[in-house]
Amino acid sequence: MTNCHCDLPAGRQGQAPRNDGYTFMDFAHLTIKKFHAGLLAGEFRALDVIQQFFRYIDERDVEIGAYLTLLRDEAGRQAEEVDIAIAKGEKIGMLAGVPFAIKDNMLIAGGRTTAGSKILENYTATYDATVIKKLRRAGAVFLGKTNQDEFAMGSSTENSAYQKTRNPADVTRVPGGSSGGSAASVAAHMALGALGSDTGGSIRQPAAFCGVVGLKPTYGAVSRNGLIAMASSLDQIGPFAKTVEDAATIFSVIAGRDDYDATSVDHAYGDELLNPDLAKIKNLTVGIPSEYFVDGLEPEVRKGVEIAIEKIKSLGLKVKPISLPHSKYALSCYYIIMPAEVSSNLARFDGIRFSPVEGVTRDGSNLLEIYKKSKSKGFGAEAKRRIVLGTFVLSSGYYDAYYAKAQKVRALIKKDFDEAFKEVDVMLTPTTPTRAFKFGEKTADPLAMYLSDVLTIPANLAGLPALSLPVINETNKHKPTELPVGFQLIGKHFHEADILGLGQFYERL
Amino acid sequence: METMAEITKKSIEHLAKLARLEFTDAETDKFVVDLGNILNYFKELEAVDTSGVAPMTGGTSARNVFREDSPLVETFADQKEIIAGFPEEERGYNKIPPVF
Repeated sequence: MTNCHCDLPAGRQGQAPRNDGYTFMDFAHLTIKKFHAGLLAGEFRALDVIQQFFRYIDERDVEIGAYLTLLRDEAGRQAEEVDIAIAKGEKIGMLAGVPFAIKDNMLIAGGRTTAGSKILENYTATYDATVIKKLRRAGAVFLGKTNQDEFAMGSSTENSAYQKTRNPADVTRVPGGSSGGSAASVAAHMALGALGSDTGGSIRQPAAFCGVVGLKPTYGAVSRNGLIAMASSLDQIGPFAKTVEDAATIFSVIAGRDDYDATSVDHAYGDELLNPDLAKIKNLTVGIPSEYFVDGLEPEVRKGVEIAIEKIKSLGLKVKPISLPHSKYALSCYYIIMPAEVSSNLARFDGIRFSPVEGVTRDGSNLLEIYKKSKSKGFGAEAKRRIVLGTFVLSSGYYDAYYAKAQKVRALIKKDFDEAFKEVDVMLTPTTPTRAFKFGEKTADPLAMYLSDVLTIPANLAGLPALSLPVINETNKHKPTELPVGFQLIGKHFHEADILGLGQFYERL
Repeated sequence: METMAEITKKSIEHLAKLARLEFTDAETDKFVVDLGNILNYFKELEAVDTSGVAPMTGGTSARNVFREDSPLVETFADQKEIIAGFPEEERGYNKIPPVF
């Protein structure tokens, strides 16, 4: 990157490696599956591809702004290790050498990790998150850390303390959020896969806005150890990819129980995760919840989702209208429970434990003054708003009216899903009420911004797996720059194979 | 709802104190409006009949996940790196200013 449009001191290290006769266009069409086949066939080395990706990032990311930190040296070493293993004839996995982008709220040992916040501007991670360990073991290459809304609070990545990320499909629009950098990096061919985190839609909503695939797994399917927590009863880590098949591959590597996350579960995902059986998928019944086709649904989104439903029908699946009557309360319920957990989780960032906050002097201050100064300088407006809101709903006199009430409504929202899943196997909905919006359109009014997650939040409250994938129609098949529309498949707990299987057959149509 | 709240400048100042935050006057004024609007939106929950409903207190129904009461050393291999992240350090301790 010649001109860093952010004011980060330690971000981008070194210079791009030398070109070896390839151009990026040789690799822009790659998916993880194609990359793996090419690597095995000896068409290119992992290092060649990684070098080209960095060259391309140097050009393209000036405009897009997906990455906060690039990890050139480490990525080069990781790629070389994969090439050496191949030269030795060792067996390599599907993710070996694959260039990945990682949301900046996940820890990579020795690397700066900001969570998009000034309060962690100088924080260096001291260990690998469990998902990073698993990807590392699988040979994945980490190109860098991606931009996000501060502490994953936002729906446009505009709440990043560092920079704007632009939507690759239309740079005048937001990429969605909070995992906007990860979604944009895959959409702009600056990574083949990425990790994001999803508390109320932060993987699925940017995936829909940018036209890529995003999966929020079942609560408990993936360890959050090493993820900077936002709302612990809702947070899940999941993949972004260009295809559902690639997303399934990444998910199969990062899933599983972990000693370091007591909520994680060992679920035996069978072979159907990666090799779905069409005969079984055809037998699934798809429910269409009427409450998700809200009044504010943009006509283009409605039309896109209708196209997707027709395609799903053409695969031979039964489609059936259903009702989730308490869904309309999900947004209120979420905006009580989530800030309550945020106010607790963010209390640890106090200027004492992790790194000093720029501009906060310690001389002559007592502990309370340091807390106040560090938090007030280090947190942005949305983080402060949610801490105050969370402190309020938990405070004496208001707990029952807000927090306890919301937990009961949450139980009713989950019960709606449990009842409906007795009749259907999968649900199909729009991912977002609108397509990607313009910068600044919703920043003045927090409620307007919150409403963009209204269709993704219920799956988090109920702990269900949900996949967003781009609507394919006759126009955008040939014109990938058209503003994307995403639709969402929601599955039963730990039935990722249903939604990923259906998604894989859909994308082959 | 049993106790509906009115958000005033005073209540924002009180919440800021509880959360160890300090706001400028402009921030306080903005949060009075924002929180007022958000809490007003929450009023729709009054219409939901939750009598006899058990609260959902977490994201999973897993209960009592135990492990051996011994340190998991694998993660924190290098204490030095953690200490290096402290704003102030003395002899391996996190140095903090006086509490009072």
